[in-house]
Amino acid sequence: MEMETDALPNGSSASSTTGSTTSAPATPTAAITAGAVSASALPSSKLTQLAESLKLEHQFLRVPFEHYKKTIRANHRIVEKEVSAVISGVAEAADSAELSRDDAVQQLNSLVSRLQGLKRKLEEGSRTEHLQAQRCRARLDHLESADAENLSEWNNIRLKRILVDYMLRMSYYDTAIKLAGSSSIQDFVDIYVFFEAKKVIEALQSKEVAPALAWCADNKSRLKKSKSKFEFQLRLQEFIELVRAENNMRAITYARKYLAPWGATHMKELQRVMATLAFKSNTECPTYKVLFEAKQWDYLVDQFKQEFCRLYGMTLEPLLNIYLQAGLSALKTPFCYEDDCTKEDPLSQESFRKLALPLPYSKQHHSKLVCYITKELMDTENPPLVLPNGYVYSTKALEEMAKKNDGRITCPRTGLVCNYTEVIKAYIS
Amino acid sequence: MSTSSLEMPLSSLRDAFDRVGKKQKLSISKSQEVIDQVRHEVEQALVDIQSDHVATWALVDIQSDDVATSPIDQRSILDELRNKLNMIAPLNQLEGSQKELNLSLNKYQKVLDKTLNPDISKAYRNVDFDPHTLHQIILNHFYREGLFDVADSLIQEAGEPEAISLRLKFVELHEILEAMKLRNLEPALQWVSENFEQLKECGLFLKLKLHKLQFVEILQKRCQADALDYAKTYLAPLASVHMDEIQKLMGCLLWVGKLDSSPYSELVDPSNWEKMTEEITEQFCSFLGQSSPSPLSVALAAGIEGLPTLLKLATVMAAKKQEWLAMKQLPVPVELGKEFQYHSIFVCPVSREQGSEENPPMLLPCGHVLCKHSIHKLSKNSTRSFKCPYCPQDASVTQCRQLFF
Repeated sequence: MEMETDALPNGSSASSTTGSTTSAPATPTAAITAGAVSASALPSSKLTQLAESLKLEHQFLRVPFEHYKKTIRANHRIVEKEVSAVISGVAEAADSAELSRDDAVQQLNSLVSRLQGLKRKLEEGSRTEHLQAQRCRARLDHLESADAENLSEWNNIRLKRILVDYMLRMSYYDTAIKLAGSSSIQDFVDIYVFFEAKKVIEALQSKEVAPALAWCADNKSRLKKSKSKFEFQLRLQEFIELVRAENNMRAITYARKYLAPWGATHMKELQRVMATLAFKSNTECPTYKVLFEAKQWDYLVDQFKQEFCRLYGMTLEPLLNIYLQAGLSALKTPFCYEDDCTKEDPLSQESFRKLALPLPYSKQHHSKLVCYITKELMDTENPPLVLPNGYVYSTKALEEMAKKNDGRITCPRTGLVCNYTEVIKAYIS
Repeated sequence: MSTSSLEMPLSSLRDAFDRVGKKQKLSISKSQEVIDQVRHEVEQALVDIQSDHVATWALVDIQSDDVATSPIDQRSILDELRNKLNMIAPLNQLEGSQKELNLSLNKYQKVLDKTLNPDISKAYRNVDFDPHTLHQIILNHFYREGLFDVADSLIQEAGEPEAISLRLKFVELHEILEAMKLRNLEPALQWVSENFEQLKECGLFLKLKLHKLQFVEILQKRCQADALDYAKTYLAPLASVHMDEIQKLMGCLLWVGKLDSSPYSELVDPSNWEKMTEEITEQFCSFLGQSSPSPLSVALAAGIEGLPTLLKLATVMAAKKQEWLAMKQLPVPVELGKEFQYHSIFVCPVSREQGSEENPPMLLPCGHVLCKHSIHKLSKNSTRSFKCPYCPQDASVTQCRQLFF
């Protein structure tokens, strides 16, 4: 990690944000709204920041791409299967000894119509693939489109995308849809992907495993690659439900068919669950009591969400949490928790303070001083001036005050009145 | 101006995806071609089987009803069909094009992983992030943005308590803003009057600006007489405090109809309305004790700016996960734009300690500033005079004054 070497000071503030201060907005917040910042005045540091922030958008491109790959795979499988079937149909007909002419014609006709059907499916599949490729491209376009002119709007859209992601993860689908609709950013969010998850989640919450198992089958190869044991956990739960209903014989049959294959890799867990056969569902024995609890289903829902996110290349935590944590830590100082913290600081709000409590404070290597009057940075271009009572304000602020008051300065915090000539320049590195 | 530092990598992504698109089209057309080939052969065989029958009409067995092709011919047609299909090897062809497509898909994946950061959750701490608190923050943001039905939807889906008074406040703000979009300043003026006491001198200023804006609008849209009426009613009362401004304003009456080419052209600049909207919004929000872009916007903007540094830090500290989770302060600075600097942070150039109540910044007689602890150390516990580390000027502890930023 590179550490900044300290320039020997003599009033130079080694603030790393370069860029002309003459175009600095009058109020700190205006820079964020960027409405008042004209395109040409955008310093290069902001553009570098923008480029850096684009690198955080992996999920944005990955999710539709995964979906696209999945569709391609599924379509290809269909084509392969049908063509295979036709070839074996021909082989069957060729090998069959007593095939009447009519039967042969019928067989061949059925193969032809199968191929016709396949062609139609292929066309449809191709259209779907094309749409999904469009979606991938549209998102690439969106990333490339970010520049100085549309920065504030682009940022607003990003903020909305982050919020929609949160809503989808929390299963607040209506809110997600409404929010996405409010800026027509449906192409930039993954509602349809989460709808896939919705079915499974709702079924699991109703204690049904069928959709989850279907999902596992659908994504068999990918799950196998990542050595997922989710399917195993689903089967275990079904087994437990059978034991709970005291259907022990069925449970054993079930175990033989569906649990045994997992024995090679997960023997211990398998044995533990198999042991529930010896207990009743209202057992007090803690090891086994926990297996019968309803919250095992909640655990399955969480597991599913994790597998799902992993499969699609999404972060496990909502984007909102990730960015918010980073922001809170970067902003957090002990001064934020004082009563006179300026309201411009998000950490002046109780809710933000609460969220930031367990997070580390930010650190500075060099002094960063803010003028109490103008809220602007006091650096070499606008050096800090000290009044006789030790209170410090920026040159700009005091010059302006002196101009309007015949060279007199009044300290806004203590009321002390003095002459502009009495202030001393301070040299802060 | 485009983000040139990312243009190159993004364009390589685009190239890789273009290649995917090409291979996908090829794969589809190959599939169609293969299906057509197979179908052609099957249909040909069908024709053969049926036409064979016609050719052998002469061989009809009078005794049997079954008008059959000689079984050997049918057999050989089917055999030949099978052989033809083997030669075409449709499955191999399909596999070939699919393989190429897969290669391009994998390539794109690699470029994607290289260009963009595949895991931005590396710096995440699994601390308690209370959902209810988070939802309150989000609701506040929705209200600020005027997304009232989205907020209602969240309240319902998340089971949050309603925040009626906050909602009402922001509804009021948006009514004011909507009116301003239609160049109607009535609601804004009313709000200023209602809150005049608390606005203090700011209130007078706002009133002046609003009336000025309305005055120019009337002058442009309607007639001079109306504008004069307006001035008499609303600007005159403010004359005692803002005489200069109003006098200047009256001058623009001389250029009615051609204000945009007059010395007063900046008065008719439409961005004045945008600026006014921003100002009113800022005042309104500060009344509610919050910033004008919602606190959530600000915090997220800071997060977006700061996350790359935190991710680098987390990568460097990957092996020391415990240390990462236990730290009370980040070990390195996260540089944010100056608009995020809300507090003065003094860092002693000697000890690198941050200024605090117990360790405040002190001004030396030479004008340099050190923290109290450093001065104590240099002066051997306030016993001797010492030299400032930056200029060789002598100083004693009594000459040092505490600073208040």
